Amino acid sequence: MAFLELDHVSLGFGPPNDRTEVLKDVNLQVQENEFVAIIGFSGSGKSTLVSLLAGLQQPEKGCVRMHGQPVTEPGPERGIMFQNYSLLPWLSVHGNIELAVKQVFPRYSRAERKAHVERYIEMVNLTPAADKKPSELSGGMRQRVSLARTLAMQPEVILLDEPLSALDALTRANLQDEIVRIWGEDRRTVVMITNDVDEALLMADRVVPLTMGPEATLADAFTIDLPRPRDRTLSNSDPDFKHLRNRITQYLIGLNEEAKALRVDERKEMPDVRPVDFYATRRTSFWERLRNNDTDAA
Amino acid sequence: MAFKYKLLKAIDVAGLQVFDPVVRLCYGEEPKLQLRRIGLFIVIPLLTLAAFVALWAYVGPRHKTKAGEVPSPAVVLQAGQDTWRFDAWEDTKAADYKRAGQDREQALAAVNARIEELEPQAEQAAAQLAEVEDAYRTQLMEQVKPLYDEYRQMRVDFRDESQRREAELEDRAAHLSGSVAEREAFLDALREHRQWEEGEKAELAAFKDQIGEIEDAKAPELEAARAQSNDLGQELQYLRKRRDQLTSDNLSLKLADAEQRLEQREQAFLQASSGEEALSLANQILAEEAAMERIETSTYAKPWTLPDQIMRSILCVFTGFVLASIIAIPIGILCGLNRVFMAAMTPLISLFKPVSPIVWLPIVFIIVGGFIPEPSDSALLDFFNAIPVLGAYDVNPAFLSSAITVALCSLWPTLVNTALGVAAIDKDHINVARVLRLGFWSRLVKIVVPSALPLIFAGLRISLGVGWMVLIAAELLSSSEGIGKFVWDMFNNGSSQTFAQMFVVVFVVGLIGLLLDRIMIVFQRLVSFDGAPTAL
Repeated sequence: MAFLELDHVSLGFGPPNDRTEVLKDVNLQVQENEFVAIIGFSGSGKSTLVSLLAGLQQPEKGCVRMHGQPVTEPGPERGIMFQNYSLLPWLSVHGNIELAVKQVFPRYSRAERKAHVERYIEMVNLTPAADKKPSELSGGMRQRVSLARTLAMQPEVILLDEPLSALDALTRANLQDEIVRIWGEDRRTVVMITNDVDEALLMADRVVPLTMGPEATLADAFTIDLPRPRDRTLSNSDPDFKHLRNRITQYLIGLNEEAKALRVDERKEMPDVRPVDFYATRRTSFWERLRNNDTDAA
Repeated sequence: MAFKYKLLKAIDVAGLQVFDPVVRLCYGEEPKLQLRRIGLFIVIPLLTLAAFVALWAYVGPRHKTKAGEVPSPAVVLQAGQDTWRFDAWEDTKAADYKRAGQDREQALAAVNARIEELEPQAEQAAAQLAEVEDAYRTQLMEQVKPLYDEYRQMRVDFRDESQRREAELEDRAAHLSGSVAEREAFLDALREHRQWEEGEKAELAAFKDQIGEIEDAKAPELEAARAQSNDLGQELQYLRKRRDQLTSDNLSLKLADAEQRLEQREQAFLQASSGEEALSLANQILAEEAAMERIETSTYAKPWTLPDQIMRSILCVFTGFVLASIIAIPIGILCGLNRVFMAAMTPLISLFKPVSPIVWLPIVFIIVGGFIPEPSDSALLDFFNAIPVLGAYDVNPAFLSSAITVALCSLWPTLVNTALGVAAIDKDHINVARVLRLGFWSRLVKIVVPSALPLIFAGLRISLGVGWMVLIAAELLSSSEGIGKFVWDMFNNGSSQTFAQMFVVVFVVGLIGLLLDRIMIVFQRLVSFDGAPTAL
């Protein structure tokens, strides 16, 4: 029995006479301590998939199971790290993590809780920024806080929903290494959603492509048996790496073309309208301009 | 350097960005830019203010009303100072009433010395005033008398001429022939005569007005003498009242008196021989004891003065504001959380939101009156009067009605903003709460309310502004002691002095409203986080 599984899961939206199936007949088995990457184009239903795994959404057909038990609601045993950080802006780094720790480990004493929170802040190298508010942090730092919060809940499964897609390339590479390093420490089960082939190859044990939506489903998995730790500088020279990358990329391009071919018949005539650009006419207030000037000057 | 940024941050949080360039200039940061900003934020507003005052000073006195001319800025300033002096004098009198022993004697000596100093001055001023008045009157007589003579002569001439013309017309009428042309000519002549008469009368009236203007013209010298004499007279009157409070009306003296009387009665009672006499004296002792108790707790009956009324108005608006917040925030949160509740509340909110305070107040007044049949014996009033600070300002049904009217009119912005803030909560934050399996209350306290706080405070700020505007009208209508009542009293008084005091109120109300708004801005900025809407 798989640790976490999707069993013939389907989900759609819209009224019955005009249904759009987002996911159709999706099957996935994740083993304990496995790092699975699900890769797909944007709009293919990746985020919906992760919502289903987390229990934030319920499937219409089929079943999501963990330890063989159906998942009916979200919970801290499946820690999810959102694409856009989802930090509470009125709490400091420490406060954000503490909120989660307080809820998941209600029996901790004050000192134990503090130690726990600080351990995870340390783990993501944010100790100097522990008292800062999210607005005072860079994107990468915010995502690290989000990671620390997820890890601090000590979930059995970590679900990463495109955690790095909003970051610049350098920060992204850093965080990739960091996530792999932390994962390597206690090898929890991880399901990561991504749209980056290199990222999937560097981090995962298994890469599962999601076909183009609508009616997306999971294709056959590619097993990545590259030795760890994987060095990103090898990605341009290592023949195994290059081979795998080519195969996955080719597969994805194939999917894309297939989807295009399928879509030709259904192409709808678009109305000839131009979107209104509200921002073009929006006047900046006097104080706003002033503030902008100041930041420019600084 | 760190201090500079702390200071700038404090200025920003306090909503005093106007002074930002001044601080930066003091630290020598980009002087050219800062000077330009000072010009923009400080110099231009000040110039506008000065232009406004100049326009007011020019236009105001040119409009005559029943309560004298519209007061100029200088007159209003003087009226403001007088108002505050009146309050200070009343405070001193109240303090004098309680003075005892050495303190009382010292104060009395000072008062007497000042009276002695002022009395000759006042006499001199009165004499000077009489002199100036005499001189002015003679001068005026000299100036006006020939004019009056001329006027009288003109009237006599007019009368004579008029009589002559009328006689002529009478004569002509008597000898009218049957010819139509002649009769028409006579009609024309009569018409012409009437026109002439009216023209002459108008001329006479204009001449009389001219004389009147000369008589009414202000003589600065006379005005100054009168003002000086009045001032001295007022101060003397005040000092004499003080002397009364320090002597005949003084609390300690009255107490000593009562004590003495009591002792006499007690002595007499001890030596009373007959039962009848003893009973009568015992009764007298009890009466004296009761009287002493009354005297002990008595205070000087200070009339309401503007500063006290301002304080009471502020307390009243805060009472109403707190009441509004207690009602609006929970209902707003419920509206934001639950769509069914929101749908249920929408008609009520839309219906009552536009209702004017003038409509609410009489209704509230009657309803509150129903809860307080006997103001001297009401648990509700006792509750409010037991609250420190508030209790010192005599909470009565009128106060409560005003506060409730303020609440009824000012709760809507908070309610709507709270509902909006709660309903617009970020879906990601809700997802975080779901993953953490937060219960209803922790979700409310830890996620929903903090994320809605900036909008709630934006609503509170609007509410307080609305409440302050509503309050003045409510006080005026309910005769609740406060700024509104002050304006109403001044309006009913109808002298040029009280007219000027109404202008004082305009500035007082404006300044306090500004201050309240600034305070709310500070709160609003303190609870705001990145990306939350803030207003300046």
